[in-house]
Amino acid sequence: MDKFFYFINQTGFANIELSGLAMMAIGLFLLYLGIAKKYEPLLLVPISFGILLVNFPLSPMMAQPENGQPGGLLHYLYLGIELGIYPPLIFMGIGALTDFSPLISNPKTLLLGAAAQAGIFATFLAMLALGFTDLEAAAISIIGGADGPTAIYLSSQMAPHLLGAISVAAYSYMALVPMIQPPIMRLLTTKKERMIEMQELRETSKRERILFPIIVILVTGLFLPTALPLLGMLMLGNLFRECGVTDRLSKAAQNELNNIIVIFLGLTVGAKCSAHYFLTVETIQILIFGLVAFGIGTATGVLMGKLMCMATGGKVNPLIGAAGVSAVPMSARVCQTVGQEDNPSNFLLMFAMGPNVGGVIGSAVAAGIFLAVL
Amino acid sequence: MKGLEAISHYHGVSLAVLGVTVVFIALVVLAVIISRLHVVLGVWENPKAWLDRVRLWVFPEKPEKPEPPGPYFDDIHESARQLNLLIHAIGEPFSLPALIEKAEKIGISHAHSVVSHLIVSHLIVPDQKGYFYWNQKECDRLLGKGRGKKGVETING
Repeated sequence: MDKFFYFINQTGFANIELSGLAMMAIGLFLLYLGIAKKYEPLLLVPISFGILLVNFPLSPMMAQPENGQPGGLLHYLYLGIELGIYPPLIFMGIGALTDFSPLISNPKTLLLGAAAQAGIFATFLAMLALGFTDLEAAAISIIGGADGPTAIYLSSQMAPHLLGAISVAAYSYMALVPMIQPPIMRLLTTKKERMIEMQELRETSKRERILFPIIVILVTGLFLPTALPLLGMLMLGNLFRECGVTDRLSKAAQNELNNIIVIFLGLTVGAKCSAHYFLTVETIQILIFGLVAFGIGTATGVLMGKLMCMATGGKVNPLIGAAGVSAVPMSARVCQTVGQEDNPSNFLLMFAMGPNVGGVIGSAVAAGIFLAVL
Repeated sequence: MKGLEAISHYHGVSLAVLGVTVVFIALVVLAVIISRLHVVLGVWENPKAWLDRVRLWVFPEKPEKPEPPGPYFDDIHESARQLNLLIHAIGEPFSLPALIEKAEKIGISHAHSVVSHLIVSHLIVPDQKGYFYWNQKECDRLLGKGRGKKGVETING
């Protein structure tokens, strides 16, 4: 009988906590968003399942090793985040998937990517004012770069206790780009500006596409060595894609490796969303100011687009500035959609891809600055 | 610690300014290099063409004098003589387009201008029915005076 009662005490039912139940409900809600609404499903599904797994009462998933007993599965998988392994590997997959031709043929769009990172630094000040430490403020403000792996990488290095909230915020806002960006874009541009059709981009040669990742890494690596883990892997993946002699590696980086790392990353990010870390006032502040950072980044990108429009005599459509937030390719698609509302024959997608991928480089540089200085 | 005190304590403003500046400088440098990449590659792939362009830029070639066009009669006497023979060949009355076509075929350049010259000088006269006649009297009078100085008698006298 004692054994029976002992067993009952070891069940989840006997150890339910309200906070744990609340987190499980949040996990199920994010799972619904990922599956039914298709909001960034490749990440939200494993993240939400990780939240679920770790918030079960007496869950051993994140248990530390003790008394000679091994730790939980997610404890070991989490080492990939703690040691800064997963995000750079994801970046390698992103580089292998990304075509940088729109950026190479129109390199001034890199400035739009740079302008859109201003939201990061504005939010940094706001988070300091709210009472966060400099490391926490940097980790939270990088949400404004709209770059999931960068946000995870920086928060794992600077504020691992905020990793769960930051990751959930970053990926949720990336999924909500089609709702967040258009009102800001319409507010800051006139109908005439939105109707601007841009000149066709020139063709890029194979040599240019091969030299591009090498040049980027040489320049940024010398400027900012702390950005090397992210940018280095991004450019390596792109080199695999473009050089033409490493097709197998390119395919592996795009597919098998990327998918495996996404599974591990998502699960372990979700595992950091235990009730103890997630259900705090800080989480609400992170969710609110993450959105603010995102909005400011969109606004500054569009304003830089307006400046470039004036400087070029109306050749640049300011809408593509919004794509400087590096939510690839969603924000480029949003630029196309908003542009076509006023001018159905306006195809801005390829032009917006330039600042979009420029923003990926910009957000990695911004993260490198925080890592170097803080 | 919150508010401006916290920002000041963590040097937030200088960090933010530094961050924006470094991001911009890094991406501007990248943009400049990438924008010149295709030019550098063009030189690498075809150095001879680039050297030719540089040579032309350093030592610009003098523009060649254009070759003079076919016979063009500044002198109305010569115009009258040539067109007199042509009109006798094509017969009268003649249409101006036919005359101009024939004149161009035999190599008279600026045929329109020559014919216009002769109309103004009343050597070609309209018959009020869309065709034209050669004013032989006027031609004889003109050619009978002898040739003027070379290139002197033009439409503008």
